[in-house]
Amino acid sequence: MIETFPQIKAIAFKEIHDAIRTHIIVAVAGFLLLAAMVALAVSGIAMHVQVAAYNEGRDQLIALGQSPADLPPPAFFPLKLLRGFIEQIEIIGAVLGIVLGYRAAAIERGRNTLALVMTRPIGQATFLAGKIGGNLVLIAVSLAVAFLAGTIGIVLVAGVSLSAHECLRVFLPFLAATAYAGSFFLLGLYLALHLTRLPHALLYAFAIWLTLVLVLPQIGDTMDPDNQIAGGVFHKLGIAKPQEREILATFATYETLRNAIEEASPAKHFERLTFALTGIKDTYNGMAIGPVLYEKLRDVLTLVGIFAGLCLLVFWQRIDFTRITKET
Amino acid sequence: MPAAIRTDKLTKRYGPQTALSNLTLEVAKGEVFGFLGHNGAGKTTTIHILTTLLAPSSGSASVCGKDVIGDSFGVRAHIGYVPENVRLYDTMSSADNLTFFAKLSNVPEPAARIRETLNFLNCEELGPRLVGTLSKGQRQRIGLAQAILHRPEVLFLDEPTSGLDPLGIKTLRDLIVRLNREFGTTIFMNTHLISEVAKTCTSIAVLNHGELAYQDSISGVMKRFSDDAALEALYLSLTPKQVA
Repeated sequence: MIETFPQIKAIAFKEIHDAIRTHIIVAVAGFLLLAAMVALAVSGIAMHVQVAAYNEGRDQLIALGQSPADLPPPAFFPLKLLRGFIEQIEIIGAVLGIVLGYRAAAIERGRNTLALVMTRPIGQATFLAGKIGGNLVLIAVSLAVAFLAGTIGIVLVAGVSLSAHECLRVFLPFLAATAYAGSFFLLGLYLALHLTRLPHALLYAFAIWLTLVLVLPQIGDTMDPDNQIAGGVFHKLGIAKPQEREILATFATYETLRNAIEEASPAKHFERLTFALTGIKDTYNGMAIGPVLYEKLRDVLTLVGIFAGLCLLVFWQRIDFTRITKET
Repeated sequence: MPAAIRTDKLTKRYGPQTALSNLTLEVAKGEVFGFLGHNGAGKTTTIHILTTLLAPSSGSASVCGKDVIGDSFGVRAHIGYVPENVRLYDTMSSADNLTFFAKLSNVPEPAARIRETLNFLNCEELGPRLVGTLSKGQRQRIGLAQAILHRPEVLFLDEPTSGLDPLGIKTLRDLIVRLNREFGTTIFMNTHLISEVAKTCTSIAVLNHGELAYQDSISGVMKRFSDDAALEALYLSLTPKQVA
């Protein structure tokens, strides 16, 4: 272990250095940051429109000699502004992971350096630990920059300061995002290390991304009866939660199927967890972090389980040098 | 002289195709060994097995007394390897590349060792340059530098002169000879070039369709065949299908 750690560190630093020099990380992380900030700005504009409408209504009531107390002010939870931001992280964060994972293996295969590394007195586990360690640092730093910019963005857009508790509610989704994007990194790495034809690895990785991140959540959303009207059918009809549950109970099989489709997607687990932590989902607004995490334990375990499972798979399967060097 | 490399009935099959068949050979310590053969003869497969990148289908092999299967880490600690068309990490400088490989081999004081190695290879000026900007010959020298940083006992070279111009070939040939003389490094070299073998190697073997067709010391070869042209004739006679 004493001799192994400097080797892991050397590989991890080389990964970071190489990704920065090739500008790949700057390009993908920059795009992620841009998309996330645009989403935040759009949420900010929507919030300002809502506030302006309230102010206009209140002024009209005052002008008519009525009490403005009759008009309830719009409920304002600053972290709700992160909705679009998190949705961008969900889509582009996974792309960031895939690109880094594919690249981590492709550079060694394309440059003939895998043979040079694997003829050193290092094991496959050391090699992979360095690769994974270095790239997880890159993913975490990219996401940290995005989340930090998002937090500062909320303060600037909403003109409010965030409490330590609210900052923690942003920090936990950052951790979830790192595990989520890290899982896609492991997927890209695994495919690029084990498929005979390198371009197929990228093709398969993006096919899986398309299915898990875009198609399955979209099917789940479309099948959700509450999503058929903007703002929610039950909310618009003024149906309370207990009655809503009662109505949905009559569609139990349909609802189980819809839920199963959503649960097949890690993106949906990430979304459910982060929407609950930030209070984007009304049910969890004002709830303490502990109970939220307890209620969302299934999503936490799924995200951690996917990450750990892919880690095991990557470490367990021996790199077949013959297959990946017989590429055409 | 004790053997640096020993193989016994070494065989490698890829599905129904046999790439290497019952290869039994011995390379003594301190030799420059030329491994000749046509394309697809099994030369690179042999190097991949001896450098622990591939597992043989049957038979055994050892390098510096270490079994390539049972003690692959032991083998790796004693070898250096330069593949054909070595490319390295082209966005990093030569020195950064060498530092990386020195750390992987746990070389003590890597900076001093890199300076010493570049000096030995007469290419100190290449240290700060990005590998991506180097010519083929320069890259080959940095490739050689990464392989000898940890002062291996056995150096494997896969077609080291492939794609080099005549000056590059002569420079590399001189370096190989110096490396063997000054450090006593055993060199196992895959090549096509008969002329290089005659000028560099102390013993040769010819592989034909995965089977050992000929093995002798270079002095033995020269006793039988007086010049390069005769050596070429020997090679062609042993690898007829390739030539046809």
